[in-house]
Amino acid sequence: MTDLTQSPQFGDRLKRFLKDYYIYLVLILVVVVLSTANLDKFPLFERGNFLSERNIINILRVSAPILTLAGAFTLLMISGYIDLSVGSAMSLSAVVYALLAINGVPFVPAFLATVLVGVLLGAINGFLVIRLKITPVIATLITLSLYKGIALLLVEDGVSAIKSGGGLKMPGWFNDYGRDGVFFGLPWAFWVAILVTIAMIVAQDRMKLGKYAAATGGNPMAAKLSGIDTARTVIILYVLVGICAALAGIARSSFMSLGDPLSGDGMELTAILVVLLGGTAFSGGEGRVLKSFIGALIIMSLTVGMLTLVPAYFQTLVVGTALLLAAASNHLVSRKDSES
Amino acid sequence: MTDQAVAGRRLAKQDNRLSDEMFITSLVAGAAVALFLLASILVPNFFQFQNVVNLVTNNWAVISLGVGVTFLLVSGNFDLSVGGIVALSGVLAVWFAQATDGANALSSGWGMPTWLAMVCALIGAMSIGAVNAAFVVALRVPSIIVTLGTMMLARGIAQVVTQGSQRNTNLPADFGTLGNMTMFGTSIKLPVVLMATLIFVAVFVERKTVFGRLTYLIGANPVASRLSGVDNARHVVKLYLFSAVMAGVVGILLASEFKSGFSNRGTLMEFDALVISLLGGVAIAGGFGSVIGMFFGAIILATVTSAATGLVLSPDWQFTLKAIAVFIAIMAQTWALARRHAG
Repeated sequence: MTDLTQSPQFGDRLKRFLKDYYIYLVLILVVVVLSTANLDKFPLFERGNFLSERNIINILRVSAPILTLAGAFTLLMISGYIDLSVGSAMSLSAVVYALLAINGVPFVPAFLATVLVGVLLGAINGFLVIRLKITPVIATLITLSLYKGIALLLVEDGVSAIKSGGGLKMPGWFNDYGRDGVFFGLPWAFWVAILVTIAMIVAQDRMKLGKYAAATGGNPMAAKLSGIDTARTVIILYVLVGICAALAGIARSSFMSLGDPLSGDGMELTAILVVLLGGTAFSGGEGRVLKSFIGALIIMSLTVGMLTLVPAYFQTLVVGTALLLAAASNHLVSRKDSES
Repeated sequence: MTDQAVAGRRLAKQDNRLSDEMFITSLVAGAAVALFLLASILVPNFFQFQNVVNLVTNNWAVISLGVGVTFLLVSGNFDLSVGGIVALSGVLAVWFAQATDGANALSSGWGMPTWLAMVCALIGAMSIGAVNAAFVVALRVPSIIVTLGTMMLARGIAQVVTQGSQRNTNLPADFGTLGNMTMFGTSIKLPVVLMATLIFVAVFVERKTVFGRLTYLIGANPVASRLSGVDNARHVVKLYLFSAVMAGVVGILLASEFKSGFSNRGTLMEFDALVISLLGGVAIAGGFGSVIGMFFGAIILATVTSAATGLVLSPDWQFTLKAIAVFIAIMAQTWALARRHAG
């Protein structure tokens, strides 16, 4: 008899545990697989192994853009909206930042101006979705095309990106933000990503914004009736995503030391992928910023770590499969919830 | 409930007026003609018969993809996987048809006869459609996320098969026949004729068959259609399979035309197919739109982009122009419908 009464409880607790912690288990699994796969050639923690200091620093450096973006994107998706223009917004910010820097604008004004561009890009999305009432997918598809178009137009014909040459030279400080280690071997861009993530966690747990976002996504009508200004909440979230896309663009631009108008291509897919991987419901209302951050670490570990195991042309296949698996598991988890 | 009551009253009142759909379609067609005339004034040598033909024939691939995408949008579902399927089916057809005795991995394939290779490639395309259908219908994952995933899945397989580049050697002599065949003694190619046939069949299915009308019902009101005994799930499955097969045919014809399977072929075609549907007045919420509208949407996009090239604008303008065109189209259609109903 005790078995019968205890086992469902145990099953429930296991389910609960899996739902709360599966993302950390996946991260551990990915790290274990990647670090032991080539153990015969590269000993643990040695050069060449996944867990070598050099490799970890490299992964965290190239992850800075998506780590910056994941938090704000999660909050937006929790509110039931989507932004397909983040990749283009990132490219445009990268081009603007590089353009300012190469024309002699110092670091701080160039940085702030680019963040302002991000505010503007996010506000345009919010305006199209909330004021003009265009479906989020279509509105941000329009701006995906628009921002990318402007980024391409800002770069002269016949040149692929803003870079040194033709009498202009990138200033010496340009790499400092995104590439050169300042603190535990990691650049500013990474620490900014951490700060942004902490800010988003605080916004989700300790501020009205997080509760309003969840209410808007869970039941927009109820949220409106209980006096929440859902329109304002959504516009603020779009602006936050715009700012984070700009920070991501600066990080990418500084890391590559150029303003590439295609550098953010596909970022919207990665962002959706990491947010889904983190267990945010598609329909909105549910999700955690921290889990999306872990999701981003998983995807970046996979895509970078994989390069030692399989040729680079496997990347699209792996990311596509991961997206479908994340979507499927996300569905299974939320179905369990609604049944119980 | 009130929405339907209003719609019903409107229907009774406007018996002999155009339906909203025909209204929007004629609006789009009018805009296409107006844009063409405007471009003829602004761009030197634009007003030529050959140019009109080129606007259609250069876009046969995207227009053909647009048919499947339009049907799905009308039923309330996205299909962003078509570009990936174009790459996949082309690469598979080439791989299956390549002789087995190639000098290296990229020049040896399965040695199938051309027709069998193409049939097998179509099955490959169809299986991506099946994955779409399974995730959307059985798992109820939003179609935009599923088809973004399968877009990468299909292109990912194509990239693995071609090792990130292309396969174009060691092909049977008849592999290029289908894509380069000209019809009726003119220079019009087979794919263009197929596109035209597809449009006619699609318009017939959309207007005159139960299947076509059910697609609208499912998009406009899935609950009502289920309650009246329609198997929504089965219907959407058929639409996804149809869209994937059409994308597969396009991919195979392109592979045949260029005698190569290129893993990056069809990049952004899914967005163009969506863009021309939206320009043509298809509503993203489902239940509204037409294949003819999509066709004129394609003409609008083609006119705008080729006029921009004629005005010697840099090709970088295309993204900005597309964004502006879609924005204007959506605002104009919303405004025109609101005005019509206010009157």
